[in-house]
Amino acid sequence: MDFSELSHQSEIRDSLDKILVEQCTPEKLKEFDVAFKHDESLLSLLASNGYLGLGVNEEHGGSGENLYDLGILFERLGFHAAPLSLVGCLVDVAQTIQKFSENKAHLNLIGAIVGGEIHTSAILEPLNQEPESPMTRAEINGDQLIISGSKYLSEMASKAKSILISVNSDEGVLLVLVDSNALEISELSTTANSPSFKVDLDAVSIDRSAIIHSRGKGLEALRYLLQINMVMRSYLALGVTEKMTALIASYTSEREQFGRVIGSFQAVSHRAADCFIDLECLRLVNQQAAVNLNTNLDCENDALVSKIWAGNACHRISYSAQHLHGGMGVDKDYVLWRYCLLAKECELINGSASQNIDRLGLNLTANQ
Amino acid sequence: MRIQDEILVGEMLVQLNPKQAKLKAELQEYFEGVMTTELKAELNNPNHFEGGGPEFKKAMCTMGADGWIGLSWKKELGGKELSPMEQYIFVETVMRTGFPFPFLTTESVGPMIAEHGSDWAKEEIATKILRGELIFGIGYSEPNSGTDLASLQTKAIKEADGYLINGQKMWTSLANFSDYIWLAARTDFEAKNHKGISMFIVPTDDLGFSMTAINTLGDVRTNATFYDNIRVPDSNLVGELNQGWSLITSQLNLERLALVNHGPVEELYRNVLKLAETTRISGDQYLADLSWVKHNLAQVYAGVEALKLICWKQTSIMQSGQLNMAEASVAKVYGSEFFIEAYRLLMEIMGELSLLKNDSELCVLNAKLERMYRTASILTFGGGTNEVQRDIIAMAGLLMPRTR
Repeated sequence: MDFSELSHQSEIRDSLDKILVEQCTPEKLKEFDVAFKHDESLLSLLASNGYLGLGVNEEHGGSGENLYDLGILFERLGFHAAPLSLVGCLVDVAQTIQKFSENKAHLNLIGAIVGGEIHTSAILEPLNQEPESPMTRAEINGDQLIISGSKYLSEMASKAKSILISVNSDEGVLLVLVDSNALEISELSTTANSPSFKVDLDAVSIDRSAIIHSRGKGLEALRYLLQINMVMRSYLALGVTEKMTALIASYTSEREQFGRVIGSFQAVSHRAADCFIDLECLRLVNQQAAVNLNTNLDCENDALVSKIWAGNACHRISYSAQHLHGGMGVDKDYVLWRYCLLAKECELINGSASQNIDRLGLNLTANQ
Repeated sequence: MRIQDEILVGEMLVQLNPKQAKLKAELQEYFEGVMTTELKAELNNPNHFEGGGPEFKKAMCTMGADGWIGLSWKKELGGKELSPMEQYIFVETVMRTGFPFPFLTTESVGPMIAEHGSDWAKEEIATKILRGELIFGIGYSEPNSGTDLASLQTKAIKEADGYLINGQKMWTSLANFSDYIWLAARTDFEAKNHKGISMFIVPTDDLGFSMTAINTLGDVRTNATFYDNIRVPDSNLVGELNQGWSLITSQLNLERLALVNHGPVEELYRNVLKLAETTRISGDQYLADLSWVKHNLAQVYAGVEALKLICWKQTSIMQSGQLNMAEASVAKVYGSEFFIEAYRLLMEIMGELSLLKNDSELCVLNAKLERMYRTASILTFGGGTNEVQRDIIAMAGLLMPRTR
């Protein structure tokens, strides 16, 4: 048992913070509140400093396959509310291909992603509660797949060169990498103003070489994708809630009422302490899931537990932060509001707490 | 596709390492042997919930002889000097069996006496604790000194060759079958509260010692104990005069962690899960088929996972010789409040059946739940009340101002 970070991991955190503090100033973030929320220059900076290669094998130009390292990246992106949506690219596409593909063309994509090229995924479907069985279908016709269906909440789809799509077929679940030019992409307007898209496929025909995994491994690959997606979103949630808790501590230590700082009232400090407890729990369940997924490609219960805690912590800490800040919490000239929107996004995408409790309960009682 | 063992892994490990897993397995096997049918029957008797019966005493001596007492003690004091992680595994395994192991005697009072006691105390008391022959009651709280322990008023007045002790203690658990009380008394009346306290070994067979039982909601007996002109020799003083406070607080973090060990609640979860999966409710439907039952089980599981990780992390921090005050308090608050929630969720699964107390076929496990929920509140105020723990978290963890 050893929870401590290796020295290179603490260094990643510190040096990332240096860059992100400079790049994600309130003024800069304000610009992206109204613009397309994607900071291209920040992405280049992260790429040129090697941060997009976290969790990626050295042979693809990364710094080693360790999901905990990748978790640090998302935690810090969340903490600084960075205008980048990279889960689809770095997690869904790069990590899934890294673990499941033997195709040179697909594997080469990882190196391109490490260099800053955008690729993304389109996995979720409106009202489909079970992303493991996509409603989007591929008819198999010789060497051709003909795909029809609708995906949504696809990050950065308009900027992505290719999009990894989950489909059902007579061969079971497949993960297919499709050139984005073949797809109909329309922008969605979402709560946190994240670059999010609907992707429609109307009998799109592609060669079966677009399938990224070997035959029969589609469901396993999709399950893996969904699990690491949950864990990395939970790391984003960790950064977001960590920042909100830090804001609570600093604001209530300065704001005075009745002649003393409000943080010295037990009612206030105890609500802050409860946020700290939620935060610690989230940090630890994330760590467990990331470390266990390093050695075992299927850790669904660990991933679910981390996403359940992420959902609950996001909700509770967000409203505690708003409440303890009073009007400041909702004032768009202060920083908190942005985190509250991000928290809701982290809470709901790829499984809410209640939905995942349901799933976990099914898993736990599957032995009878 | 890459296969598992080719994946590069950091040194971080969020599970027991092979050596720790082996220790756990050994301990499990050992304690299954200790928990004989006779001992189990004795422990089901409300008078012996917390030990003190003949089978309990026999088991303690066996453990002493087999070297399972004094795990935290230094080797030169006759202990095993196990690491904090190994101690945690020990506590976990023992608690899972339900054996009321007197941890405060063997792992807190014992090593303090072995290290700071007089020659008599080291030879006579520490040795017998290691052999499983002595039990201590803890004499800290008083009618007017609970959370503010340092305000305690029990007096020990210096006389020619010893001390004269007078006062009253509250919630002296185990006093009804303990051999000695580990007593905190005021020895300097001028000094600031916590600077005038000393620790004494007080024999319960002294004529000046008496007690009245306090029967609690959870049917756990505790006691009010009275000290009426008790004379003890100088050799019963442990540590330096007026330096008792540092002994009281020296092991608080380890003690708090032992209170919220994840073992028992995880054991309970597993047993309720098994019961829900095998209890038919109608036709071929089982309790565990109900969606809300699954939800409750999942809530408990997600909570236990967090508790396990908090405890493990806290233990590994101690292992590296550091101390993190905020995280020790996180463990105490989260654990004690989670227990209450977990008992509720698990009792809901068994529903009205959880109200049954007798060990009929229907409620072998429920009887345990029925008792657990009645004892659950003790931990939120005992062992350092959660309000004070939250104060510590806000101050040490969030660097917020001191509250009042």
